[in-house]
Amino acid sequence: MAARSLRISQVGLRGIVGNGLTAAHVLDFAAAFGTFLDGPGPVILGRDPRSSGIMMREGVIAGLLATGHDVVDLGVVSTPVIQHSIRRLDARGGISIGASHNAAEWNALKFFGPRGTYLSSAEASELLDIYHLKKFQFEEWHALGKLRTDSAAIDCYLDDLARAFDLPLLSRFRVLVDCTNGTSALILHRMNQRFGTQFILINEPLEGRAFAHEPSTTRKMAEMQLAPLVRCTGAEAGFLFDIDSDRVAFCTETGEAASEEMVLVLLADWFLEQGPGRIVITNVSTTALLEEVAARYGGQVVRVAVGRHSAIDALSGYRPEQIAVAGEGTGAVMMPRFRFVYDGIASMLAILSMMDRRGQSLSELLSRYPMYSILKGKIPLQTHLIPNMFQDIEERFPDGRLDHTDGLRIDWPGRWVHVRVSQTEPLVRVICEQRGEAPLELFDQVMDLVRSYTS
Amino acid sequence: MSRAHQLKISVSGIRGVVGDFLTPNLACAFAQAFGTYVGPGPVVIGRDTRASGEMLEHAVTCGLLAAGCEVIKVGIAPTPTIQVYVAEIRACGGIAVTASHNPPEYNALKLFNREGLFFNHYERTELLDLYHQSEFRQATNDGIRRVSSDTETPPRRHFARVLAHVDVEKIRARRFRVALDGVNGAGSVMSVQFLRDVLGCEVHAISVDPTKPFPREAEPKPEVLGDLQALIRSSKADIAFAQDPDGDRLAVGDETGRILDNDDVLALAVDCALGKRQGPVVVNLTTSAVIDDVAARHGCRVFRAPVGEANVVERMKAVSAVIGGEGSNGGIIFPAVQYCRDSYLGMAFLLERLAETGSTMSELAATLPRYHRRLGKMAFQHGRLGTMMQALETLFPGAKADRTDGLKLCLEEGWIHVRASNTEPLLRIAAEARTPEMLEELYRKAESVG
Repeated sequence: MAARSLRISQVGLRGIVGNGLTAAHVLDFAAAFGTFLDGPGPVILGRDPRSSGIMMREGVIAGLLATGHDVVDLGVVSTPVIQHSIRRLDARGGISIGASHNAAEWNALKFFGPRGTYLSSAEASELLDIYHLKKFQFEEWHALGKLRTDSAAIDCYLDDLARAFDLPLLSRFRVLVDCTNGTSALILHRMNQRFGTQFILINEPLEGRAFAHEPSTTRKMAEMQLAPLVRCTGAEAGFLFDIDSDRVAFCTETGEAASEEMVLVLLADWFLEQGPGRIVITNVSTTALLEEVAARYGGQVVRVAVGRHSAIDALSGYRPEQIAVAGEGTGAVMMPRFRFVYDGIASMLAILSMMDRRGQSLSELLSRYPMYSILKGKIPLQTHLIPNMFQDIEERFPDGRLDHTDGLRIDWPGRWVHVRVSQTEPLVRVICEQRGEAPLELFDQVMDLVRSYTS
Repeated sequence: MSRAHQLKISVSGIRGVVGDFLTPNLACAFAQAFGTYVGPGPVVIGRDTRASGEMLEHAVTCGLLAAGCEVIKVGIAPTPTIQVYVAEIRACGGIAVTASHNPPEYNALKLFNREGLFFNHYERTELLDLYHQSEFRQATNDGIRRVSSDTETPPRRHFARVLAHVDVEKIRARRFRVALDGVNGAGSVMSVQFLRDVLGCEVHAISVDPTKPFPREAEPKPEVLGDLQALIRSSKADIAFAQDPDGDRLAVGDETGRILDNDDVLALAVDCALGKRQGPVVVNLTTSAVIDDVAARHGCRVFRAPVGEANVVERMKAVSAVIGGEGSNGGIIFPAVQYCRDSYLGMAFLLERLAETGSTMSELAATLPRYHRRLGKMAFQHGRLGTMMQALETLFPGAKADRTDGLKLCLEEGWIHVRASNTEPLLRIAAEARTPEMLEELYRKAESVG
């Protein structure tokens, strides 16, 4: 089967530009979103630095103006800044153009509702229906929207961060940051200027065509790109961002790259300490260390299916003050203080605040946790055999506790395995974790079993 | 239901009522077809002041970028200015987002080749096929080029080309008092500057705010220029100009407040051009015989082309015309500036004629041979057209018939031209004669075939 380079789903529109994703898709999706939104208020638009973003920007503006919405273009900014501006400008919604952690040739549209949050699955599904129906509500010539720009977005976002975190205090840390040529560079450069923080930026120039390295926030990437530099610069921490700054990875002052699972663990620890008994929302693929940490503060972990819609749907069932933190094991974490927006910059500032308040280095902070070893694998899928595969795995492991929230997860005391089908790529993912040493045998067993369904 | 043509996609491009008919999706796809056709070099995009212009400009830019073109935005600019600019900067092509003289709910894309001219008929057909096949060039992230903006240079380049052909000092020395109606169109961004700063006139302008809607019917016809006529009287203007929304058409008023016939305006421009250099003249079939008389004074030949700017331009290039135009449409085409209808060239030529002759505008118009003209239209049923044409021909047995575009019958006392409209089931009738009585008779006879 040909590799798929276009995905239109509840997650939105994602694909390889010019080779799957076309201008027509962009216009149709923007017109669908314009039809979906009703009521007053502008729509906020921003993009990451990919070259194809300028083409998509034009199409999105045309589709929104034609459906009668005013557009405020923030230019190249991070996704969290767009979400922040939606609130600030009392906007009707927003669109972020950017493919986040995907390679440069990819691009995508992400849609936000009036509070700056991702669409719920019901909303996303309605948007998708409008897109497919292609009956858009184009306004007449005298009722079209107007375009304006806004250059204050980053400063206003920083003002808000400065209210939540003691930035002058955090400026005592010398922190190395790999911006991966993405939007975090704009924010952190400005933060250094305004608040005297000491973020030493590498891969700072915005790039449209080729990023310094794959923009993923995994331990592997932090280990290769960041850790050696942290060691030789003597920085107190190192952080690495994806292109639109919603995800973050980190390494310690000793040059030890942390597992991508640890961003959520640290923040759960930090926010549960401030609000014991609260809830941590995550997906079924994220480390079981969270349950241990939550237990220390009488908190509870709620696990949902993978994907931001599931997290948004779950959040809507609780009052904000019931939640400690929500996020994924990918380095994407949202905090109640930041209106449940995946925000890598805020996550970094929270980790630095934790270091400051507890008077501990990053390696000391991490040493408080027992060792968990997680293995992740992916295998191209053979679609029609997937149900059989799940059935087979279930039968092979009759002694575990089964969970069908998203694919299949099987739990045993101290270890678990999760097999699921990716929403964004044609892949089956296998995640396997054990308290202590890596569960090599279990992982290989499941991988082999999955692999037997691929040819 | 009446067959109102709210969307038309043809070899002339794409035109329609913005909303459910002319959508950004269509404009984007058409632009991507255009970008595929002209190649990746820079494409210039500009627009008139219609409310839908901004939206469509973004849709067109999206399509061009997706096809891998570099895009240069000139913002609000008259169509002739865009056409001059495309040629000046050696772009790959150009797109003007404008429905010219159509009402504000309409918009359209005018497409230009690397010389800033309309594509010829065969190229237009090729482009339309490309659009329908929807096999566009799809630029990948590495192939997407930049968008830049240049609003300063286009008017300067356009003015420079016009000024190369008139005696600026002579015009400036007269400090003419000029009344101007810019219809709040694209000309609003540069007409006052042209007349006041460049040609040294004292300008009294109305409707030169590009942010406001059209205050009158978009086509500068005498019956909608009441405000300009009042302005002529109140400002004691020597001459008055009215533009259409994209600044290609020009109407002219004299110092008495009378709006000149467009054929006469073209005749004065032809006189001016042939006075500088002799050569062939091209006009459309519906244009007055006054052009033939003026050309004859200079010993020059007149060629006639089917109605439509593209047809006239194609013929002008073929015969190396010195000047051309379409009388009733108020379009003056002077190729030394650019092969396009250009209201700025028209203004400069008329001011130069005033300066050179020392006459008033009404005196100048009075030097032209007097003809009487009548334009009208008549609805017809599909299938009846041929019969009507035949009936008309038998009514005038002695006439010389020209079937290049509909039917034109040339007689001793004048001529009749009937042609089907491209956009509606309407027959357009034009007639001209030496006296009002002869005209009335010709016109009535023509009408009788309906």
